[in-house]
Amino acid sequence: MSLSDEVSARGSGTAASSGREGSAPRQRPSSWWFLGSELKQLFRRRRTQALLLALAAIPVMIAVVVRVSTAVPPGRGPAFLDRITQNGLFVGVTALIVAVPLFLPLTIGVVAGDTIAGEAGHGTLRYLLAAPAGRVRLLLVKYVGAVAFCVAAPLAVALAGAGIGAALFPVGPVTLLSGDVVEPGEALSRMLLIAAYQTVSLLGLSAIGLFLSTLTDVPVGAMAATIVLSVASQVLDQLPQLEWLHPWLFSHYWFGFADLLRQPIGWESFSSNALLQAGYIAVFGALAYGRFVSKDVLS
Amino acid sequence: MTPTWLRWMPAVAVPAVIAAGVLAGSVPASARDPLPDKTPAQVLAMIAQHSTKSLSGTVEQTSELGLPDVPQVGPTSGPAANSIAELLTGPHNARVYVDGPAKVRVQIMDRMAERDAVRQGNEVWLYNSKDNSATHMTLPSNASGKEDRGSKTPGSVATPEEVAARMLEKVDASTDVAVRDDVEVAGRAAYNLVLTPRSQGTLVESVAVAVDGENGLPLSVEVRARGQQEPAFRTAFSSLKLEAPDASVFNFTPPPGATVKELALPSSGYAKRDLGYGKGAAGSGKDEQGKLEQGRKAPAAAGRAPSVTGTGWETVVGFPARAGSPAAGSPSIDTLLNDPLLRQATVAVPGGRAISTSLLNVLLTDDGRMFVGSVPLERLQAAAAAR
Repeated sequence: MSLSDEVSARGSGTAASSGREGSAPRQRPSSWWFLGSELKQLFRRRRTQALLLALAAIPVMIAVVVRVSTAVPPGRGPAFLDRITQNGLFVGVTALIVAVPLFLPLTIGVVAGDTIAGEAGHGTLRYLLAAPAGRVRLLLVKYVGAVAFCVAAPLAVALAGAGIGAALFPVGPVTLLSGDVVEPGEALSRMLLIAAYQTVSLLGLSAIGLFLSTLTDVPVGAMAATIVLSVASQVLDQLPQLEWLHPWLFSHYWFGFADLLRQPIGWESFSSNALLQAGYIAVFGALAYGRFVSKDVLS
Repeated sequence: MTPTWLRWMPAVAVPAVIAAGVLAGSVPASARDPLPDKTPAQVLAMIAQHSTKSLSGTVEQTSELGLPDVPQVGPTSGPAANSIAELLTGPHNARVYVDGPAKVRVQIMDRMAERDAVRQGNEVWLYNSKDNSATHMTLPSNASGKEDRGSKTPGSVATPEEVAARMLEKVDASTDVAVRDDVEVAGRAAYNLVLTPRSQGTLVESVAVAVDGENGLPLSVEVRARGQQEPAFRTAFSSLKLEAPDASVFNFTPPPGATVKELALPSSGYAKRDLGYGKGAAGSGKDEQGKLEQGRKAPAAAGRAPSVTGTGWETVVGFPARAGSPAAGSPSIDTLLNDPLLRQATVAVPGGRAISTSLLNVLLTDDGRMFVGSVPLERLQAAAAAR
């Protein structure tokens, strides 16, 4: 929304954006400028920062609780919880596992649902479109902004987890699911791989959120609908009667990142996940395009 | 201005393209050269002679035996991942690495967990990531080659190779053996060897084995039960590479912090027989036949040997009260019965309790005897009453 008056109202806008609304049509701002200001706007927002902080608090909470309590018997609670006392790096992995079903979709829902509906809700959408930016380009820039958040969110969990784990517990060679042991350096790179897996996992949900966001002028509605869909998809994924549907649910491979903790690494779930998410991006991207391009923007 | 309907075109076109792509993908790849015709005997010989020594691949096993499913919910691995019965419910994926008979690794990929069986030379390691426990065994040095097929993957997903070998031993006058249309498994053309019981008194409808058209390696085994649409049991390679896997795959040392248990094997003969227990839904294979022969050789010698009624597919094996091998480390019948999943699955029937699956029925009589067979429950009850 640096494209909008909000930034200029805060006094942090560039000359280009603060001068844009009133002035006569000027040359099209370059796409990179457009994208850069969108990203700047997204990550400068208090809300985005609060979401990332909340995500980073998950591993901190887990680590502190494990530190002050007695040993956990193996096989209880989320996977790897019992390993944390032996190796701090597992804090990040455990936190990522805990964050997958609800916390990550929740934050993505907030960001993706806000993309278009947020501008409409603030009454700034028509200014954006009045500027010669183009609806398709606006849609693309908004989606890339949501993708950037998909990258940042799992990364926040993983890095906060690795940091607090290293601070509170010993760090050493990491035991993989297969029983093989790898050095901390490789373990860290595998954790980043898991974060990348989750980024990919959330791309489909972001596309759904973007589409829902074009449907309404009330951002809260689009956010809630996106989050509800992510929960509904996971519930459907648990019903054995709907087994034929499972490979088509965007949440189906969300827990498949366990394959990255095996030796040798199993890439099948990564690639099937990427393919599935690409399908969701194509379908809901096309839907969002159809809706947004033919929409009467009144606010 | 483009008309509105044109703007919605991508939203219609994209799902259509995806649907077309999926349909095209599900149609079998265009007519490849059909395999040269072979008789069942030739296909059997191909299996017997196949000399595939090294491979790496992924095995998919699905069971529709009518046992209750283990729910797999949330970020934890299943509650009963150690249970033998758990391997017989729902789908399982395993990666298999083989380099000669003495280097084998099987990885059962559970949700957020993994069970491993690694053999290098005579050293065998079992590892369970869920409780971080490892079990070590040293095989007797005379164990080699074919004999080891039974013991190298105890309690794990049986590879197609193993199950096929056991199945084909049952081929005799009781069974119609035919080679049907070629199938494709793991992207390879394969002969489809189908065994159909001639008897109507068994629960098994047919057993199909896909045999690689090039090298005779069994690629999949599918057991169908009477009156059931889905295969009751299927294990198949979903991907297969016929190259020697990286040697480091077979190196295993228990990770730090793991509980390590040493398991002594009493003797190779016992080991082979006992470890066969957990091996697969097709429990009517080689292991049972071993007992069967033993039962015939020593008819009720100590009153503890299993009794056999019926022949071929209709065989019913009866175990006297408190039977089960007392050998160390073997899951005796008592432990099997105390398995929480199996206990859940039993239902009260006249004369005792029964575990009914689509392929195998087990009757536990009130006086502690056990009858097992791929036959309807009434036949088990009749066998129990006959004593």
